[in-house]
Amino acid sequence: MKPVKIAMMGMTHGHTRKYYQTLLDNEKLDWVASCAQDEESKKVYELYKTGVPCYLDPDEMYRKHPDIEAVVIASANDRHFGQMKWCAERGIHILSMKIPTFDMKEYDEMVEMCEKAGIVCQIELEMHYNSVVRRLEKLVKEGAVGRIKAVQMTNITLSPVWAFPWQGDPKASFGSVVPLKKGDPRFRGGALCDHPHIFDLVRHLTGSDFDYIYAEVAPNLRDGLKVEDMLMAVGKMKDGTAFLFDPSWSRLEEKLKVPGPGWERFPKRMEVNVTITGDKGMISCDCFGPNVYHNGAPNDRYTVQYTYFDEWIGLIDEFVACIRERKTPLINLKWHRETIQAMLGCYESIQSGKIAKIG
Amino acid sequence: MNLKKMNKGLDFLRGKYGAKAGEITVRDGHCFVGSTPLLPGRMERKIVELKKMTENGTLEGVSTLRFASFAPKGADLEAMLAKELDLAAYLGASDVVRVMAVANGNAINVLAKLANDVNVSVEAGAGLPKGAAAYDRHEIIAKRGVACDQTVDTHTPHASIRVSNADGVEEFTDVDTELFGMTYEEVWNVRAAFALLQGRASAKVWKAAWAKAEKAAALAFAADRAKAARTIAVKCGLDTNEAIKTSEVR
Repeated sequence: MKPVKIAMMGMTHGHTRKYYQTLLDNEKLDWVASCAQDEESKKVYELYKTGVPCYLDPDEMYRKHPDIEAVVIASANDRHFGQMKWCAERGIHILSMKIPTFDMKEYDEMVEMCEKAGIVCQIELEMHYNSVVRRLEKLVKEGAVGRIKAVQMTNITLSPVWAFPWQGDPKASFGSVVPLKKGDPRFRGGALCDHPHIFDLVRHLTGSDFDYIYAEVAPNLRDGLKVEDMLMAVGKMKDGTAFLFDPSWSRLEEKLKVPGPGWERFPKRMEVNVTITGDKGMISCDCFGPNVYHNGAPNDRYTVQYTYFDEWIGLIDEFVACIRERKTPLINLKWHRETIQAMLGCYESIQSGKIAKIG
Repeated sequence: MNLKKMNKGLDFLRGKYGAKAGEITVRDGHCFVGSTPLLPGRMERKIVELKKMTENGTLEGVSTLRFASFAPKGADLEAMLAKELDLAAYLGASDVVRVMAVANGNAINVLAKLANDVNVSVEAGAGLPKGAAAYDRHEIIAKRGVACDQTVDTHTPHASIRVSNADGVEEFTDVDTELFGMTYEEVWNVRAAFALLQGRASAKVWKAAWAKAEKAAALAFAADRAKAARTIAVKCGLDTNEAIKTSEVR
């Protein structure tokens, strides 16, 4: 199979650095170029010494590398539409970060332009390529706990806003400046926008669609943040499954400009935990455990050193296969629409104080 | 171990990333590629992370290693001990030079010394019921920091998934997406074979390291019989405890 000529664009997303090793290692790929949004993100990119040239102008990148076949769009959410358009106009396949956009009109235009261009547009929800999630899905499918009655899922992390300031900027993260609710000084665009995985995973596990959702924001943990950092949601799927979601930034962090050792203040910087109650049993699941633990440098605090963390490999493998074999990605734009709607439903519920019907 | 499945997994990795040809064979319960014994313990991700911590400044001034290994009845206690003593030399970055041990039936407790003066304790036992999952623990105690592959406040390993139903309770810990479906032991033997065939691990080093580990384990049992510590002469030359190059995926 001819390696896919791939590039990265934006370089401001929190997941950007997680692609580097996979893009370099995978022989089905030829990582030819990167294009940073600005000088600052270019400087951070250069710290990782990938050896892949980095540009500041996508048109210059494309002039010098006209054979680019695919792009990983690794940018702020409000840049995605323009960058997708740029790719679609050139017939370049897209691997999008987890939130294409929260503007549903824009979202539908994305679907249309990708279809018209005949390109693959895969959404990065890497949890599906996590071996623990794969086992979880297999167990549920095999009926290990019978019919699912209730699900609890956490996708809790530290906040990346100090390293990736756009994630604390309502416009850059949510796409527009919308107050959370009457009398609340905060705006949409915080922790919720960072954590779509559980909204997606429940759909795969139950095979059902969202019925309704109810959400509440709590007081923020971080002073001065313009967006929400603590919230919870409950609701039901159309098959009756009751769910409880925690998509918060509930783990505090050091205000590092570049993520690295010592970022976390709570020992574990990211947790995706799932509890499933079925009519024949229960499953409890820690998607990022076990690990290795230490209290050494740099901060001498008890710290989880993530150990089994290879979901990017499967994610990229699927992307390459979709391009070469003309397949549709598991998480494609059309599938992902309901996940985004459910997340929007959380914001609507926070604003209204009532349940939000989905779909 | 399912050799057919393991070699299929090895072929998959070779095809995907490139590596010279070779296959895994088993002799006396140990995996080989050609005449080279595999050291799967050194490939386990948790050991890779611990090794990194000893080398990247996370831990400073290693003093003591506390290891444990438990397996079902009938397991080869000497082979279990050899694996742990190899990991001690690897994580301690120094060869075992003295061993003392007390054994009793299917268990042995070892107190060993590395050439760099680091102490090592290993408790090994083959007393778990047949069919139970083997488990181990590796703790590194340093002037700056303690690192361990088990979390604080526990004495048995955490599992990723626990299923409770009418059949009882079952645990799962899947550690490798590309080799999904293989047992823990199979995964790391395949990864070890792949590292060897890619040239990231050296056949010469692994042959020498495993010979040292087997000798140290045998001397531990001899020390128990003699009620006296046994000394191992260190030969200058090949460093058998250098880190293996692994991919970063975070």
